Amino acid sequence: MPTMTVSGHQYDLDRQSVEAALERALPEPIQEHFVVINGRRWPPKQALALVTGLDRADFTTHQARRALTRLGFTAARAAHPSAHHRGGSPAAPVRPAVSGTAGRPESLVEALRPFIGLWVAIRGDEVLVAAPSAKEIVAWLAQHRQCAQSMFRVPDSEQAITGAAPQ
Amino acid sequence: MRFAFRALPAAGGGALTPRPVVDIALDGLPDAPMGCLLDTSALRTRMSAELAPLAGIELSGVLTEEFYVGGLKTAGSLARVGLTVADGTDEFSWDAPVWFCDPWPHPFGLAGLEGFLHYFLVTIRAYDGYLDIEPQP
Repeated sequence: MPTMTVSGHQYDLDRQSVEAALERALPEPIQEHFVVINGRRWPPKQALALVTGLDRADFTTHQARRALTRLGFTAARAAHPSAHHRGGSPAAPVRPAVSGTAGRPESLVEALRPFIGLWVAIRGDEVLVAAPSAKEIVAWLAQHRQCAQSMFRVPDSEQAITGAAPQ
Repeated sequence: MRFAFRALPAAGGGALTPRPVVDIALDGLPDAPMGCLLDTSALRTRMSAELAPLAGIELSGVLTEEFYVGGLKTAGSLARVGLTVADGTDEFSWDAPVWFCDPWPHPFGLAGLEGFLHYFLVTIRAYDGYLDIEPQP
């Protein structure tokens, strides 16, 4: 297991231990940078803080990003940084300009694919959060002052949809 | 208001046939509109009972009915609630009966006659992959 130094502390970390540490947590909204872990986008500082137990003030986004990419995780910059926080304005929550998929339908399909069987909250073709229950989704939206376009469970089969038709 | 059919991934790869889905927000849950399949053959509008307490909707002592959806027996509890649809530009709110169902393992709610279709002129353009809804007075 590789040893790395973060903020003066040494940690033995590998890909599996990072994935395990984040398994039961939910990612916060992406501001600009993210790393992909367990099929989800994580703010680098949140991910590294959860893995190491360090305070986020102890390291920068770029240090977190570098540490996680060294372990083989993909890092990138969000095309459309989160701009739907409600905290700064007394106005009504910002809602998507077009209901449905903001981009190509395939974009939403691919964004939803890692979350088959889970509840999700989406905005355009972006998955804001995925969790095992609607309760966790609603709590996450409230905690992070986010407004979803739609909440549903990603069906695990065609029958899961057609089966909902009344008999 | 226009809603693109919802595209969804298939577990085995590829995509499921896109479905007509409208996102309906319950009073008390304005930031988490529930995706509901448009169901022209359904009398009721139904959602998971899991949503009722999250929206502060009291279900004790209300009218209930048992029925089958997709071969699964479930129980619905009736509440008249405030509902809102929005497409980012326009927004429409109305009060309607909704049946909150337990168990509800289905991925979407169902938008049926009572509760939804009676309140809108709905044009389904499956060929083009969208539906338009126009609130009726």
